[in-house]
Parts: sequence; C-alpha cells; structure tokens
Amino acid sequence: MLSYRTKRRVSNVGLYVLTGVVLVIIAFPLYWLLITSVKLDIDVAHFPPVFFPTRFTLDNYLSVFETENATKFWVNSIVTALTTTFLTCLLGSMAAYALAKTYLASAIRQFLILWILVTRIFPPVTTAIPYFIIIKNLGLADTRFSLILTYTSYGLPFVIWLMLGFFQDLPADIEKAAIVDGCSMWQRFTQVILPLTLPGLAVTAIFAFIAAWNEFLFASILTSFSAKTLPVVISGYMSDKYLRWGEMSALGTMMIVPVLIFAAATQKYLVRGLTFGAVKG
Amino acid sequence: MSFLKKAPQAATTSGGTGTTATAEIPVKVQRHTGEKWLSVAFLAPALIFLLFTNVYPLLYSLRLSFYSWNMMVPLSVPKFVGLDNYTDMASDPVFLIAVKQTLIFVTAAVAIEFLIGMGLALLATSRVKAMGVIRTVLLVPLMMTPVVAGILWRTIYHPQYGVVNWLIGLVGIPPQAWLGNPNQALPAVIAVEVWQQLPVVIFVLAAGIQSLPTDLYKAAEVDGSSMWQTFRYITLPLLKPVIIVILMLRIMDAFKIFDIIYMLTYGGPGRQTEVMSMLIYKQGLKYFQVGEAAAMSWVFLLAIFVISLYFIRQLLRGN
Repeated sequence: MLSYRTKRRVSNVGLYVLTGVVLVIIAFPLYWLLITSVKLDIDVAHFPPVFFPTRFTLDNYLSVFETENATKFWVNSIVTALTTTFLTCLLGSMAAYALAKTYLASAIRQFLILWILVTRIFPPVTTAIPYFIIIKNLGLADTRFSLILTYTSYGLPFVIWLMLGFFQDLPADIEKAAIVDGCSMWQRFTQVILPLTLPGLAVTAIFAFIAAWNEFLFASILTSFSAKTLPVVISGYMSDKYLRWGEMSALGTMMIVPVLIFAAATQKYLVRGLTFGAVKG
Repeated sequence: MSFLKKAPQAATTSGGTGTTATAEIPVKVQRHTGEKWLSVAFLAPALIFLLFTNVYPLLYSLRLSFYSWNMMVPLSVPKFVGLDNYTDMASDPVFLIAVKQTLIFVTAAVAIEFLIGMGLALLATSRVKAMGVIRTVLLVPLMMTPVVAGILWRTIYHPQYGVVNWLIGLVGIPPQAWLGNPNQALPAVIAVEVWQQLPVVIFVLAAGIQSLPTDLYKAAEVDGSSMWQTFRYITLPLLKPVIIVILMLRIMDAFKIFDIIYMLTYGGPGRQTEVMSMLIYKQGLKYFQVGEAAAMSWVFLLAIFVISLYFIRQLLRGN
C-alpha cells in the first residue's frame, strides 16, 4: 500500500533480509530449546555455544519420563486444561450469546460487559492470596478441582469477550428466520448460532486451552504434589547447575511441540481470533 | 473490543429493530418476556460462577487489607489495623521501588513493542510474501509456555555459556552478567517480554492496516505524497482506534507479567526486576504478610482500573 515502483526494486533485497533477520531472532529460542533437549551434557555446557551439534542423545527424554510420577503430572495438566476449556467455552458462549441479544435492558448489558472487561484485565496475582487462603480453608488444596475453579474464573471473561464479538458479527436475519421457524432460544443457540460461529468457537477454545496449559502462578501456590501440573514440574528443574537444563528442555519441548503443531495447522484462524476484537466493529 | 463500539449502537437501535421486527414477525413480540428470562438463564451460570470465584475472593482480599496477619504463625489471628496497610505503603521504599520498576517495565516494553511492531506490520502488509510461514513463526513465542520461555532465556543469557555473550563477543564486547547485573537485568527482562509479545502487536496492526480503504492510498499516490506523508496523514489517523486498542491490551497484559520474571530473576538482583506482581507474591506467599499483600493488590487493581478507564474513554470519544 505504501509502496512505489521506483523504490520497490531498490529496497526489496533489504526488506527480505530484514524480515529474515527478525524471523530468525523470533524463532531462535525454539530451535535452541529443541537442540538443547537432544544435546549431550558436555555440548550444553560449552563455550562457544554448539549451534549445530553432531552428537545426539535421548537421555534427557528418558530421564524426564523416569522421574517419579511423571505420568501423573501429565494427566493433571491434560485433565485440568481440557476441563477448563470445556467449562469456559460452554458457560462463556452461553453468557456471550445472551449479552449479544437485546432482550435485556441495555443498561444492564452495558454494566455486565464492563464488569467482564474489568475482570479480564485483573492481574492474576491480585487474587492469588485470597485463592490461597480460601482454597486451603475449603480443604481443596492440592486438588485438580481447585485449579479448574481458578482457571475457569480467569478464562470465562476472556471467552465471553471473544465470543461476544463473534455473535455480534452474525447477521440478525439468520436468527429471525429461526424464530419464524419456531425454534426455542436453546435450539437457536445450539443448532443455528453455534454451528455458524464454530470457527470462532474453535479458536476461542484453543486460546482457553493454551492459557490453562501454560498457567503457572495458581498451579504453583495451590498444588504441592497430587495435582501438580507440568509448568510447576519444569520450574522445579531450575537450579544454578547448568546440567539440569537438558531435562528441562526435553520436558519443555514435549509440552510445547503439540501446541505448536496445532497452532501451525490453524494459524490463519488463530491470528483472526487474536486480531478480531481489536480490528472489527 | 468491538463491543465497546457496538454495544452503544445496539442500545440505541434496539428500539428501532424491535418495532420493525414487530411489523415483520409478530412471533417475536409474543415471546419477548420469555426470551428475557431465558437470556437471564443463559447468563446466570457464568455470572454466578464469577460471583463466587472472582467477586468474592476480591472482597475477601479487600477485608484482609484492613488487617495485619502473618498467616504462618501458628494460631495467629488477623488483627484489625484500619488503613495502616495503605498508609504504610506510601513511605515503604520497597513498594515505591516496585511501582517505579513496574512503570519502567510496562512503558519500555509496550513502547518498544509498538514501534517495532508498527514497522514490521507496515512491511508485512506492503510486499512480503509467504504470510503463512511468517504467521507460524510469529505464533511460536505466543504459544510458548512462559515458564519454559523463562528458563530458555536464562540459558541464552547465561554469563558463561550463553548465546548472547557469544554474539557480543563477535564484535569484541566482553561477556556480561545480564540477569545478574543490576543495570542490565531489567532491560534483559524487557527484551524477553518484547520477544514474546511483539507478534500480537504485529498481528493486530497488520490486520488494522489491511482493513483500511485502499482508495485513499491511490489518491495519495496520484498526489505524489511521500511514504512518510502517507503514513503520517493517512495510515496513522485512520488506524487510531486500532492503535488505542492494542496499546490498552498490551499495557494491561504487561502489568500481569509474573511467570517470566519469576523464572528469569525472581525479582533480583536486589530489587531491580521486582515489579508489582512479584512484590505482592513475595509479600503474601513467601513472607505471608497477607494483609499488606492484599492492600497492595487493591492499590494495584485500582491503578490498572483507572488506566484502562482512560483508554476506554479515548475509544468511546473516537466513535
């Protein structure tokens, strides 16, 4: 858009070099993580850094799996993230649907929307202390349930906010047609509106899942052993000894590679979801 | 953020569409009261959930903020101290340092993200091909678990074996301590934040630029406007709402930073990277001074609330 033919040829090479450099900087840490996870210890603690190792090992991966209760921590992470995703998407899209319609007085809707927005911007640390005390008093400490509760609480405003945008984007005629056909509100929601916003819902679900999958603060204060999730396990590998970084890279790789593959497969929709609220409307 | 613009519109036109709908579809009127209660039923689960898991804990923390209580002292009970926790803050150097470091962190990180992001968004929307590859690469930092990113960057900043020291060694700069150096720790942490969040800024600004009407640009080209003039007088003003939204989102999220600092420096060296989240965490969950930590949380919340209100007003004024 800003380009002019004369300048185009001159700056094309520079442009691609610059883009390339930026992409390399952005992608390098991922490469470093992958490569560190399969390096021998002597290549990890080596200066100058070994960028292209010639010897590889899977010891770090084996060691991660041989850690006591490794399976349990995986199950904790998967169950917590999936349950949170399901709950936030179900409750969140229902609420967003009601807020997108005009049946409620606009003052009430405005208030609720503002409340959701405010909740969305709260830094999690501000509820960390009450959560810690309340969960402890309820006897829920170190349970997956406590994580699901707190994650859902932080995921809900986000889901409502995104889904609200998707619902408002649907043409009103579709809903009118369904009303004429005699669909109840629940039928309209599940059989007409949700299928139409399915790409949006899928993106929202992916974001909700990733947020729960990556969450560290609540997991670290609310769990100690039984309900420990992977980010807490990884943080436990942190020590001043350089050598443990192989294991942490292995576990880190296993944690993020599935997410990245999924993200790469759906990148177009994910980016639409990221930019949706800011640009549309 | 679209609802910020749409909601008021919907509010003013709802009466209008209501009447037209009456003319076209009488069914809707008959159902109207029923729909209203159904809407409430749709909203209720989420709102009740948030009441218990969000509003209640916050009120609990507000109450705690008027008490002095070291939770870890056995059999200790909260002691009511009124506003002491709040008034003490004003003269508490630790708190004031945290405020200062937080403001530096947020301002620097968001400013850098915005400047680089704008440049790259303009590039990406002008001529660069292979958007699929670029998008995928840009998604990498966003999807990466912050805890993993934190430890990963520790290896990159490592004084002895780190890539950064190797890189600056190539141009003859001696190895630096980075995260261990009081002057370099905060910039080093900011760099990681920029690395992780820059893609969001690029995505949003690029989408914003692509949504601008093309005829203005053609007119500008005919008039012989320079690239800078086009940017300054066409792109920038038209993009203003998107810019406000992305700045607001990034500022609010930058205040939330916790995992990365926890992993990279744990607030150190000294208190150089001890931002508000870190301070509240340490005060409440390491030293267990929960009353003080709760008071700090509330000051932090109110500050963020006021800042976001400012942006929301800017947005509404724009419409």
